[in-house]
Amino acid sequence: MSGGAARLDDVAVGALQDVLGAEHAALWSYALAVAFIAPDQVAAARTDTAAHRELRAQIEITLTQLGQRPVSAQPAYATPQPVTDAASAAGLLVTAETDAAAAWRSVLERSTDRALRRAGLKALTETAARCARWRAVVGTRPAVPVFPGRP
Amino acid sequence: MKDATAARRGAGLPAAAPVVGRRRILQMAVVLPAAATVLGGCSGVDRRADRPDPLIALADAARADAALAAAAVAAAPALAARIDPLREARTEHAAAFDAEVVRMGGVPRTAAPPSATAGAPPPTGTAVPPVTLARVREAVAASQVGAAELVENLPAERVGLVASVAACCATYAALLT
Repeated sequence: MSGGAARLDDVAVGALQDVLGAEHAALWSYALAVAFIAPDQVAAARTDTAAHRELRAQIEITLTQLGQRPVSAQPAYATPQPVTDAASAAGLLVTAETDAAAAWRSVLERSTDRALRRAGLKALTETAARCARWRAVVGTRPAVPVFPGRP
Repeated sequence: MKDATAARRGAGLPAAAPVVGRRRILQMAVVLPAAATVLGGCSGVDRRADRPDPLIALADAARADAALAAAAVAAAPALAARIDPLREARTEHAAAFDAEVVRMGGVPRTAAPPSATAGAPPPTGTAVPPVTLARVREAVAASQVGAAELVENLPAERVGLVASVAACCATYAALLT
């Protein structure tokens, strides 16, 4: 059906803006954390950063195509604890991925668009894997969240 | 983590639902049918009364995975560190699914399927191979697929739980390789 149009209602658009905010925060967190995490974690952090950049780009493109102005990143974000060493840096990344997971789960709950739900599930799944790795670095048990994205 | 999150909705949103051209770069947005989707605000709208609650099967799978995990550790105790967290997670998944089934007025099965019971003596003359890590991984991977399949069509109040469980199973499936 060429020329068809996709509609996302305001609730779904709001969910996309919120998850974009979470992705902005995650990227800010990785930029800060990479300066402090253990050397053997840097490669993983860079891979994770690239994944978040890709997600951010996809969300911004989608919102723009919907005629929305994608929410901007904040100049800085409040961190649960000061980042001063490898452990606190990894802890920040756990927080960032946990928040992103919650935002992606919320995309699923606030939209009925099948493709958006598929994309959201994929993002939730990948963020859960990242979260598990950083939880393992921090030493949180269990490393794998039992319900990724649950508020 | 808190951000100011100022510029969100309310700033310049059009009154009507936004529309895009069909060409798009990512697979996020899709063409919606002109008619209302099957999903409505009411959770039971897409199930006929004679269909079983799909979460019952998910609960069963969670219980089966937990029993299989227990059997694997019984066969090879060195696996405990890797598999015990999975067993605990799948046990929690089963409880959450049961609660949701009950919330919708259904009756969950609460016993593990007998074929997966750890420690049950095999029938005389039958050799039962020990449960391997690979078998546990396959089961969890299958559980991920079973949960993920439902995500597109679940009502809003259930999709989060099922998606979370799918993501958890996926993570274990990748870790237990």
